Amino acid sequence: MALEENNKEQSAANSFFMLPSFVLSLIEQVLNQALKLDPSLVDKLKEVEHQRLLVEVRDWQQKIAITYANQQLHLYTAVEHADADCMISANINTLLALKNPAMLTQLIRQDKLDLQGDLNIAQRYSSAFSSLDIDWPEQLAKYVGDAPAQQLYLHLQSLQQQSKKAKSQLDSTLISLCQDELAITIHPLELVQFKQQNRALKSQVAAIEQRINALIKAL
Amino acid sequence: MNENPEKTTHFGYKTVAETEKASMVADVFHSVATKYDVMNDLMSFGIHRLWKRQTIASSGIRKGHHVLDLAGGTGDLTAKFSQLVGDTGQVVLGDINSSMLKVGREKLHNLGLVGNIDYVQMNAEALPFPDNSFDLITIAFGLRNVTDQNKALRSMYRILKPGGRLLILEFSKPEQELLSKAYDFYSFNILPTMGKLVANDSESYQYLAESIRMHPDQETLKAMMNEAGFEQTTYQNLTGGIVALHRGFKY
Ligand SMILES: C[S@@+](CC[C@H](N)C(=O)[O-])C[C@H]1O[C@@H](n2cnc3c(N)ncnc32)[C@H](O)[C@@H]1O
Repeated sequence: MALEENNKEQSAANSFFMLPSFVLSLIEQVLNQALKLDPSLVDKLKEVEHQRLLVEVRDWQQKIAITYANQQLHLYTAVEHADADCMISANINTLLALKNPAMLTQLIRQDKLDLQGDLNIAQRYSSAFSSLDIDWPEQLAKYVGDAPAQQLYLHLQSLQQQSKKAKSQLDSTLISLCQDELAITIHPLELVQFKQQNRALKSQVAAIEQRINALIKAL
Repeated sequence: MNENPEKTTHFGYKTVAETEKASMVADVFHSVATKYDVMNDLMSFGIHRLWKRQTIASSGIRKGHHVLDLAGGTGDLTAKFSQLVGDTGQVVLGDINSSMLKVGREKLHNLGLVGNIDYVQMNAEALPFPDNSFDLITIAFGLRNVTDQNKALRSMYRILKPGGRLLILEFSKPEQELLSKAYDFYSFNILPTMGKLVANDSESYQYLAESIRMHPDQETLKAMMNEAGFEQTTYQNLTGGIVALHRGFKY
């Protein structure tokens, strides 16, 4: 019940303050700042200039259109029938785990990720993203002065919820992977490695969550 | 917001008022042009940027497109469009008001956006382009200022290419009674006061509040678009209907 109320309030807040757009605009700013600091990425992304990658985050029910143009990344919420040169669709934990482009094909084979269109585009973008080393909470905190505090508070809260969700999903994915899939499809060594990576990711998520908590308290 | 007249004099707003009065001209937008961006942020708590982002998100804009940012003023939308259409595309920033165009041109130049933007003074009611010229026309917070809106819509329809789309971002009718009341209070009391304090121009912002109330509501505007020939016309309420984004296609 309380959860339902919460959800309702959240979706009202979403449409009134346009939270998804707001969050995306912050992420876009942070990404572009990071891009400026890493000129090598400009070359990497040059090849996909004006190519549009659509990313569907299944468990968030959000679609994001990403375009690199004029040495900047442009992130927008994607509307229905948005045309793109490549589309990938996966849960957030899968997307977060995308550390190198080679994993793309692996994830597709495992049915964890759908891809339509030009694989090369997804690979380019994902390799650029994964080489950006961004301290998200710290970067987002820089915008405290810019944005109305209430909006940021809501934004951080939703981030917090999302990271919690990501964490619990990682847990359940891991369990189900261990129980049924991995035993038949993956070499035990790979499994060990996968578990290690997951553990690292989990602790990263936990750390982010802690920092967000600290930020919320500081507000 | 508690207005404290003593504090106001103390901060010297009155002096500003005297000196700037001379430059006030009959045309509302001549008088707000230089403060336009600041006021936009203040008045909407920055949310106008998100309304504009939603417009871009719905635009289907691609490299090579020809875009008209009508009543484009200080060029917020043009700035993004210019980047997204690239060097093979073209963006026209069109506005009836030379002061707004001037502020827009300076702003976009300072952002380093040159090469694919044209600045053209024009009246939305009689657009100076051949038929079937544009892939996309946007008019953000502009239509309500146009005298003959039906004529303007027909003119936009004419210059769109088949397959092209029109996006109208405009104040509209809040969905809920309570929000509507709060919003009325805000726009008829607080807005003109802010306008006075920041831009020394409460009348222009009084005009703004009034023009918003006079503007057709969501369904009426949708019907007007259909009347002008647009198809697959839809709208999306933003921020509880304070603003609506209408979209229509020409086929
Ligand atoms: C509120 S501003 C909007 C500017 C910009 N689109 C934005 O969203 O920030 C309205 C603009 O409409 C312009 N305008 C008013 N009547 C017009 C007309 N008949 N034809 C073209 N532009 C007009 C004004 O000069 C002004 O720049």
